[in-house]
Amino acid sequence: MSKLHAVSTDARTDTWTEHLVKVGKSRDQVSFQALFEHFAPLIKGFCLSNTSQNFSPDAAEEIVQEVMLKVWQKAPSFNPTKAAASTWIYTVMRNARIDLMRRNKRHNNDSDGVDVDDLWDEESTLAPVAQFQKLRNEEVVRSSFEILPTEQRQALVEVYMKGKSHSEVASETGLPLGTVKSRVRMGLQKIQAHLSAKAV
Amino acid sequence: MIKFHPDSNMLVEYANGALPWALCIGIKTHLQFCPTCKAQYDQLCTLGGVALADSKTEAVANDGFARLMARITGDQEIRVDHEASSPSKLEPKGEPIASQKHKLGELPSVVNKLIPDDFKWSKTSKTLKTGRLKAGQDEYEIAFHKITKGGQVVEHDHRGLEVTVVLQGSFSDENGVYHVGDFIVKQPGEVHRPTATKDQDCLCLSICEAPVKVTGLLGKFINPFLRVRPA
Repeated sequence: MSKLHAVSTDARTDTWTEHLVKVGKSRDQVSFQALFEHFAPLIKGFCLSNTSQNFSPDAAEEIVQEVMLKVWQKAPSFNPTKAAASTWIYTVMRNARIDLMRRNKRHNNDSDGVDVDDLWDEESTLAPVAQFQKLRNEEVVRSSFEILPTEQRQALVEVYMKGKSHSEVASETGLPLGTVKSRVRMGLQKIQAHLSAKAV
Repeated sequence: MIKFHPDSNMLVEYANGALPWALCIGIKTHLQFCPTCKAQYDQLCTLGGVALADSKTEAVANDGFARLMARITGDQEIRVDHEASSPSKLEPKGEPIASQKHKLGELPSVVNKLIPDDFKWSKTSKTLKTGRLKAGQDEYEIAFHKITKGGQVVEHDHRGLEVTVVLQGSFSDENGVYHVGDFIVKQPGEVHRPTATKDQDCLCLSICEAPVKVTGLLGKFINPFLRVRPA
């Protein structure tokens, strides 16, 4: 099972956000290379440990290429006051995965006017948040995820991180559907409660 | 004020892409109205971002970055050529032609994209008009339902999951009054009789897995003929 490792927030996050801004604003290839060197191994690691599709290392390598290509293409729309680089890149990666699944199902037919980016945009529509608040929120999400009861954390990893439906997880684990749903719900409620309690 | 929302399980399946495409359209439409659910969705994305930042690393191919840059440089050349020869890029942005043509008023951007070129209304009853939409999937029928102001729809049960998002106006049933942005889920066994409020027509986005089941004597005659047509 994959697990979030406890990593303390440091200037790192700011660095990646700054690099992403430079890529977006001035197509800075040095910053893009720095982002690639940092995020490509993370994306590949995430794909290999957090997907239900059993990617081969070659397929994971191709996904890294697809995701980083999208990062380059979409960087001009990245707004650093609304999301940290890691959250934004996660959504780009998630969208690429959904797009891939949909193309495999051959639903992307002729006059289909709605595409993945219409349904899952990367940008938060919430009010801009100060950098320190964003980092703090991420730290609260990270720490509250870590202290969730094991079964709630596992349910969130299986359903959310691995992109499965609750029914799929229920049939794989033999747990009743209601149990899987309530574990996911309770896990999220706890994370939200931590965020509200720590709100400035 | 929005009072009816998707539950957090549905929101999680939307956020991870496991939810059927048609239902994702319903959720996205709701999110365009609802800051509360949008905030929950953004929190899920933050959780994903944290998971990515803390993921185990796997070494990528040595030539990975060079390969990507070669592709980007090639793509840019192609794109410049394409843009130069594509006058459509110069067309002014504005309300999509389809929604102007059919006088549908202001709609969430994702809904505008569902309106086919050959969109037309069909009269289902004296008080209800239906206009089929197109979403590129084959599981759910997606349609506009328009109830005339003060109009009452025939009482019905549901043979599958039905999601309704109110787009304009409001309607009520036995369980409450639904306003713009409300996300209403009906399951088999849930019988209701929607009635539009008297001030204006009520336009809803409807996503149906199976045909409704009209109750009473009328149902005996018409239920065998009801179908859904996903598109």
